[in-house]
Amino acid sequence: MDVLLGYCRFITALNRWVATLVSAFVFIMVAVISYEVVSRYFFDAPTTWAMELATLLFGPYFLLAGPYLLHTAGHVNVDILYRKLPNRWAGFVDCITYSLIVVVTLVFIDQSLPVALNAFNSGETSFTSWNPPIWPVKALIPVAFFLLLLQALAEIILAVQRVQGQKVDV
Amino acid sequence: MSSTLVLSMMFISLLILLLSGMPLAFVLALLAILFTIVLWGADALVLTVLQTFDAMSSDILLAIPLYVLMASVLQRSGIIEALYRAMELWFRRLPGGLAVGTVAICTVMAAMTGIVGAAVAAMGILALPSMLQRGYDQRLALGTICAGGTLGILIPPSIITIVYASTAQVSVGKMFAAGIVPGMFLAGLYILYIVSRALIQPKLAPRQTGEKAKLSEMLGSLKSLVLPVLIVFSVLGSIYAGIATPTEAAAVGVVGALVSAAFQRQLTVKNLTAASMDTLRVTTMIMWITIGAKIFVSIFTGTGGADSLLQFIQDLEMNRWLVLISMMVVLIFLGLFLDEIGIILLCVPVFLPIITAFQFDPIWFGVLFLITAQMGYITPPFGYTLFYIKGVLPPNIGMGTVYRAIVPFLILQLIALIVFMLYPDIVTWLPEQLTQKVRS
Repeated sequence: MDVLLGYCRFITALNRWVATLVSAFVFIMVAVISYEVVSRYFFDAPTTWAMELATLLFGPYFLLAGPYLLHTAGHVNVDILYRKLPNRWAGFVDCITYSLIVVVTLVFIDQSLPVALNAFNSGETSFTSWNPPIWPVKALIPVAFFLLLLQALAEIILAVQRVQGQKVDV
Repeated sequence: MSSTLVLSMMFISLLILLLSGMPLAFVLALLAILFTIVLWGADALVLTVLQTFDAMSSDILLAIPLYVLMASVLQRSGIIEALYRAMELWFRRLPGGLAVGTVAICTVMAAMTGIVGAAVAAMGILALPSMLQRGYDQRLALGTICAGGTLGILIPPSIITIVYASTAQVSVGKMFAAGIVPGMFLAGLYILYIVSRALIQPKLAPRQTGEKAKLSEMLGSLKSLVLPVLIVFSVLGSIYAGIATPTEAAAVGVVGALVSAAFQRQLTVKNLTAASMDTLRVTTMIMWITIGAKIFVSIFTGTGGADSLLQFIQDLEMNRWLVLISMMVVLIFLGLFLDEIGIILLCVPVFLPIITAFQFDPIWFGVLFLITAQMGYITPPFGYTLFYIKGVLPPNIGMGTVYRAIVPFLILQLIALIVFMLYPDIVTWLPEQLTQKVRS
């Protein structure tokens, strides 16, 4: 049991750390886009890379925060019926919904991994004037869904605890 | 399988799964995966990755975290408290003055933030106790806060407007412009209602007696308005002067908000961390739904569902206004149960071909859509505003009072909806003036 709870704590802490890390990306986006506006408008020297760099950061920014949002129940849901359930029943329903989320993550990992590997092996670039390699961003899709898989498994363990009538904080 | 059958099966299973409390983003993704396998086989699942990557590469949706960050930074810089003090000084002697002032602040906040929760929560903390203490009617006070808070949906910059523009593939700049006049119209309608109720039944909103505030004090209080107004004007101004795209203007707005916070001596690590975590939370929530909805909708359009629905409606040979009204009824109904971002992402790709086929303007339709979204925000059981107000409600007031409080404002929103349907010029005039200059 302790091993399982240790797993939950470790994964949640890991995903919280990842989310905190990517939360800083928004300041980089602000900086590069502002730089672009200033250099275009005041110095008549538009960059080729600023907007594209900001867009490249955008995907990792929200994808990698998804797993932690699952833990904090930050994804929007309809809880008209759910919130009326007694604790144990809610835990039971959670077991099912998190298992379904596991299925979703497995499909995404299975589909995105070959796409990412292909982009890496062929050295795919973005075909813009800046033309950076595109594989790091594509590789983040399976990574994000793998982290989501780990978090969903942790949430299943916690939901089982609720079914057994125990309250655990992670 | 016929596409009508697919359509009905997709939406029925969507409703059933949603009721289990499973997050919308994953319900959509799960159903999309199931229907892809059934309709096209497992090989077509690569669609999930293509749609995810597509959402990741959107430079329009990139504006969302920037506008949210601008709002969060401004909100933490003590500006709202200063605005509230200014409002009390200026409006307290008017009939229903505190409620009128609350609508005024909500309008200013709508132009600064565009996030409904921010205005409702702030007014729930500041304006509600102050109105109740002065003997204002509970329903008038609560209704004003709930309805005023939703002004952020229409008045630019608004997150929901960006999502609509990106989904409907219309210019964000024009959509922003289209929201200004209707937003002001609604705010005016609320104020008109409050003032007339206060004049007819003075005990609903007791007039402030006591001495008049000094003019110097009143003017001094306006200082708090200067920086936020400057930021809002530079953001919208740079869009309409053709200097920056809406995304770029948002980044400039963030810099302005940071400067403003520094002036108020609120640019602390604690505030910045909290603002960036808020931003991450809101953006992540919206973008994960976007991914799920994009996959879900691409299956629906891929099987010809959208085409057959359009064909079906054209075959009915209904009056085009009847078609429009039916769509509005569907949207208001969905707003009772579903998240508004989800409704936009699911319904716009389906409704827009119908709108263009019947020669309605997609920008004007967008504004009507946003008003139904406002109605969705204040109606139970799934109204965001209600969740926020619940968090700040004094213990002696139940949610039943809140539900009754919103009814008159819901009617005002319905009136506005009808007015904009009858007189499309109110909506389309401003964006048409700005057509030439806006960078898309």
